[in-house]
Amino acid sequence: MLYALLIYEDETIYGPNKSGPAMDAIRARHMALVQELGPVRIGGNGLKATATATTVRTEHGTVSLHDGPYAESKEQLGGFYLIDVPDLDAALAIARKVPISRDGAVEVRPVIPTPPQ
Amino acid sequence: MTNTALDRAVRVAGARVAAALAARYRDLDLAEDGFAEACARAAEVWPRDGTPDDPAAWLYRTADRAVLDALRRRRTRARLVPEPPPPEPTVEDLMADDINLIPDERLRLIFVCCHPAVAPDARAALTLRLVCGLTTIEIARAFLVAEPTLAQRLTRAKRKIAEAGVPFEIPGPEAWPERLDAVLATLEIAYAKAHEDAAGAGPHAGYAEEMLELTRVLAELLPREPEALALAAIVRYAEARRPARLDGDGAMVPLSDQDPTAWRRPLIDAAQRYLRQAAALDGGGRRCRQAALHGLWCARRSLAEPPPWGRVLALYDEALRALGDDPVLRLNRAVALAEVAGPQAALDQVMLLDADRFASFAPYHAVRADLLRRTGRTEDARAAYAAVLALGPAPAERLWLERRLAGLENCAILAG
Repeated sequence: MLYALLIYEDETIYGPNKSGPAMDAIRARHMALVQELGPVRIGGNGLKATATATTVRTEHGTVSLHDGPYAESKEQLGGFYLIDVPDLDAALAIARKVPISRDGAVEVRPVIPTPPQ
Repeated sequence: MTNTALDRAVRVAGARVAAALAARYRDLDLAEDGFAEACARAAEVWPRDGTPDDPAAWLYRTADRAVLDALRRRRTRARLVPEPPPPEPTVEDLMADDINLIPDERLRLIFVCCHPAVAPDARAALTLRLVCGLTTIEIARAFLVAEPTLAQRLTRAKRKIAEAGVPFEIPGPEAWPERLDAVLATLEIAYAKAHEDAAGAGPHAGYAEEMLELTRVLAELLPREPEALALAAIVRYAEARRPARLDGDGAMVPLSDQDPTAWRRPLIDAAQRYLRQAAALDGGGRRCRQAALHGLWCARRSLAEPPPWGRVLALYDEALRALGDDPVLRLNRAVALAEVAGPQAALDQVMLLDADRFASFAPYHAVRADLLRRTGRTEDARAAYAAVLALGPAPAERLWLERRLAGLENCAILAG
């Protein structure tokens, strides 16, 4: 089964534009995990800071553009992994290994399979 | 043949049949539907042809076929191509089975139902539904929720299990302690519901029996896990005392006033065996310590024997040392301390506890009320009794508390 691991942390700890020393440290840990996962990892990336986000919102059929992320919150979506594992327990085991600098959360979401073409 | 035979067969083997199906097809709904269909067929066929030699095996085989049919229909719908109907099972087919051929998958199913990915309020309900075979109505009554609410909770939990890919496996060693604790905690919650009903005459009269069975199964499947054994012991100790928990008026009888000759000895003996087995492995866990406390009380043979307060106090002291500071443990310790060192010493200890944290914890107010009463603080005692009554205690407890409160008023009149 495919699972997305969505990483939520307070991005301010990574400095402006996520370029501080904490970012270098966490990047190294992510690279180590990527190495360890090998072909289990189908995809995934870190995301630039929410300050760089633009949101396209549709309301009552009208589309409008906004500066900023979809939701303002204490912790923000900062990156994700897409993994292929047999079941939830295997996904949870990997989610536990996802590096977190201080406090944070990794949400494990099953991915809707693409129907065969 | 009547429906009674079917009822009995479903009671005895239903859970095992349903668990085996669920584990085999890794689909709770398919298993439940298949089992329901088998029961419907049995109700139709058994009165006519007689009850099979092994009703459980018959149900398993028939349910298995029903599941296969459902899967075939599902595939056919997906491809929109008709498939030939499955062959009807012959009578020999159905009679030849043996219950021993049904794999016991209940442990696996318990771990699925109590997976941390399942909402905590659904875990106990799901376990009772799938592993004990209780009906939605029975469970809804036990949990004091409306049946549609409970049914919805169960549906949501089953969907989560299917959609999120919860594995139908017993967890590996790395996840074992955490997952086993989730199972034991779920069973504790489920048992608390049965225990609340002191008279055992409420809607969950048969439910305590289910808990005895479920904890027995778990202990049997996990004979090397002290905490699982301890839980089996705790449930037995508590059930053993059931006949002595209420007086003639239906008021609760405190443990130290209960007549030990009314306790059910065979259950106590069974509990002692589990406790010994657990202690031989490692008696240091929370549940093992709790079982040991029950064990002290249940070793009492008559009211003439002095209550074991001194040893109870020693066990609490030991638990506090080993498990770390815990306010609920300290509250319980104070109850024993009052008997050993007097109510004032106990009250001094209770006063040190964080009152805000305990604001809606009935036992806190009940203990305080009792200690205040015994140290002559009538006014404060009255307020504490009012606080616990305001939290809506169970009827038996309410009756007892009201009696104590009334006694307080009488004393006040005499003194005044």
